[in-house]
Amino acid sequence: MTPTIKVNQLSKTYQVPEREGGFGAAVRGFFNRKYKDVKAVQQVDFKIEQGEVVGFLGPNGAGKTTTLKMLSGLLHPTSGTADVLGFTPWELKTEYLRSMTLVMGQRNRLSWDIPAADSFLLNQAIYRIPDDEYKETYKELDELLELEPLMKKPVRNLSLGERMKCEIAVGLLHRPKVLFLDEPTIGLDITGQARIREFLQEYNKRTGATIILTSHYMADVTALCERIIIIHHGQLKYDGGINDLSKKIAPFKLIGVLMENADEHDLSKYGEVVENMEDADKKFIQVKADEVTRITSRLLADLPIRDITIADPPIEDVIEQAFNA
Amino acid sequence: MFLIFKRLWQVNWAEQWQYRANLLMYLLYWLVSPIIYLAVWTSIANANGDVKGFTANDFVTYYMVLLICDQVTSNIIIHTFAYKIQDGSLSGELIKPIHPMLTNALVNNVAFKVLTMIGLTPIWVILFFLFQPDFSGVTFINILIAIPPMLFAFLIGFLFSASITALAFWTTRIYSIHEFYFALILLFSGQFVPLTLMPKVIQDIAQYLPFQLMLYYPIQLILGKLSQAQIIQGYVMTGIWLSVSILLFNWVWREGVKRYSAVGA
Amino acid sequence: MHILKLLSAFLKVNIQMSLAYRADTVVNILLNLMWLAWELLSLNIIFSNTQTLGGWGLGELIALLGVFRLINTMMIAFIWPNTEKFNQSIRDGSMDYTILQPANSMFLVTFSRITVWRFWDLILAVVLIVIGINMSGDSINALQILTFILLALSGMVVIYSLWIVLIALTFWFTKFDNNVTILQALLDAGRYPATVYPVWLRIIVTFIIPIAVATTIPLQALRGELGLNQVLIFLFVGIASFVIATQVWKTGLKRYSGASS
Repeated sequence: MTPTIKVNQLSKTYQVPEREGGFGAAVRGFFNRKYKDVKAVQQVDFKIEQGEVVGFLGPNGAGKTTTLKMLSGLLHPTSGTADVLGFTPWELKTEYLRSMTLVMGQRNRLSWDIPAADSFLLNQAIYRIPDDEYKETYKELDELLELEPLMKKPVRNLSLGERMKCEIAVGLLHRPKVLFLDEPTIGLDITGQARIREFLQEYNKRTGATIILTSHYMADVTALCERIIIIHHGQLKYDGGINDLSKKIAPFKLIGVLMENADEHDLSKYGEVVENMEDADKKFIQVKADEVTRITSRLLADLPIRDITIADPPIEDVIEQAFNA
Repeated sequence: MFLIFKRLWQVNWAEQWQYRANLLMYLLYWLVSPIIYLAVWTSIANANGDVKGFTANDFVTYYMVLLICDQVTSNIIIHTFAYKIQDGSLSGELIKPIHPMLTNALVNNVAFKVLTMIGLTPIWVILFFLFQPDFSGVTFINILIAIPPMLFAFLIGFLFSASITALAFWTTRIYSIHEFYFALILLFSGQFVPLTLMPKVIQDIAQYLPFQLMLYYPIQLILGKLSQAQIIQGYVMTGIWLSVSILLFNWVWREGVKRYSAVGA
Repeated sequence: MHILKLLSAFLKVNIQMSLAYRADTVVNILLNLMWLAWELLSLNIIFSNTQTLGGWGLGELIALLGVFRLINTMMIAFIWPNTEKFNQSIRDGSMDYTILQPANSMFLVTFSRITVWRFWDLILAVVLIVIGINMSGDSINALQILTFILLALSGMVVIYSLWIVLIALTFWFTKFDNNVTILQALLDAGRYPATVYPVWLRIIVTFIIPIAVATTIPLQALRGELGLNQVLIFLFVGIASFVIATQVWKTGLKRYSGASS
């Protein structure tokens, strides 16, 4: 069987105008603009079979979104080829557009001023979905996402999580075979993230759709994807199972402690102290996952601890550590 | 106090300079209708010899001076301020120890004017060569006498527009109200045509309204068409309307802020 | 017809939107009537001081006002709201969704916002045209009416095409997002016959921002002042400008996706 997605030596180089400050420079730039090449994606190769759920990982600016945009057809690559469902995405053939979807967590497809129901019907017309098929799909999506109570309210009155449910649903009305999801859970709270995750899992199981998603949240990826592709500095750094990844990158946990007179105690003997965390009250150390229990009990025994948390380190840090070293 | 205005000027000038491309578009937009009226009325005057004593040259000089007067006396406060009331970002300005409208917004408008004036100058010169108007009626003294009432007319217009803007404390429909206000200006200021060519009723009403102080009165003053009595009458009207606009704005603003803080936006 | 289905879907959505702002709609209609009154008053003032304007009488100018309002309705009902939506979609990136929808992107960009209540303006415009022609006492045959309709449509297409080019420029110059103002600015010139303007202004409104092509010229056709040659030329201009606009739009989209450059 031919793979659903086949990417061969895909590269994208942006030309970014170099600007100097000042009026004189602006005038000179107008006549003789200098460009700087930014290699966003460099010779990426991979294949994805039908029904796979693949996570794209990498820090901001690594080239994930650029790759996703090329696969959905929004961007022309500088060189290389891609084949999705037998189409070259950037030719933007109608049949192709009707068999895939792109959902971007930070962008709105729904109109703010009207109830989602109306935007749904508009998309039905645009995607030429027959009435009976539309009803059936809607019923299915409603079952999974509990859309009905949200449909009558103007979109601007929905919470972020509710809106995201509608955004995803509207992108799925035409039963796409391939889903590109760019940060589908961004900004959602933990329960919201979990609901979207469960839905995607169930949707994949029911329809056999191929899903590629990027996410900042490690939990999204570990829950959903059996396979991971890591892109860093535009290059493909890792492509394989999520379990192998854990072996490759020694898994770490972050332990955060809140204690009396925090400055008096030196945590570096328990693990690597991590600076610059959002939670300024706590101190954080990074330890190997299999040592968490041992170190935690030592901390509790040694220090005047008021509160202790154990969490995954941010995904950027993990990848940074693994591939930058 | 002087330092505050100096700093405000630096900030607002830099801000308006950022938007200079938009500003040029605005200028072109604003230029078109006086030029069309100019073309229409000179064409009529040429066809009929004159229109109630107005020759083609009278019309050309009238609209050429109008371009300058309108530039001096008009304002854009509603476009730069109303949204702050609507989206609540005014709160940040209310807690500062200066009046948000009478300092920052006022200076912002003045910076806008200075920039558009710079843009207008070359256009005005081009129009001058295209229409070759005869400005022999204009004297230096007339221009000097016209400056104070023009500056006060700007203040009157600014305070009225600011009062309308402050209605945003109560209603979301201030742009519609402003559109209505704009129509009043068109009707009573002499923007469409010198007021003496308007129907008698409109002339009679216009006399007592502030709108003619913004255009018709200074234009005629500059062109040397007013008698001494008319000039003095204009000064008196300016004084009266300036007091009215100050009182009105103060009242609307005070009540509005009261309401704003009561709602707790 | 899929296009019609799409159009009706857009209409439904936009009716929904205007229902959400009912009171504003009423206020806007009142303001619109106020401006109509002003326009008629200004014509009255002009014609109390002269018999003809650029060779045209009061009746003809009322008819011209009708034609002008046709164009103005297109501006306000379609061009402005969609410009706003377009600029917004470039800023926040939702343009990406428009491109990935399986329908003609120029169509989507043109019709996704419609100020529905403005349609009554079209009736008003037609009423003005009929009254104006009657007042002028011109006798008009069916052929003249037909050429008028064709040239009015062609004129609208010219203005529309110009708009497409103007917004497509945003693909090249991202900061160029208030370009449509220039269109609206010169639109006012369409209220009066282009023959009254000085030569340089006539050149601008006929060739550069061709407002006159959409207002003065169709009315001249209605009065039987245009020969067959001229009618054909102006029809050709309409078609040609649409073709050019489509090409510019396509090139702009390619630019947006990084296919060219």
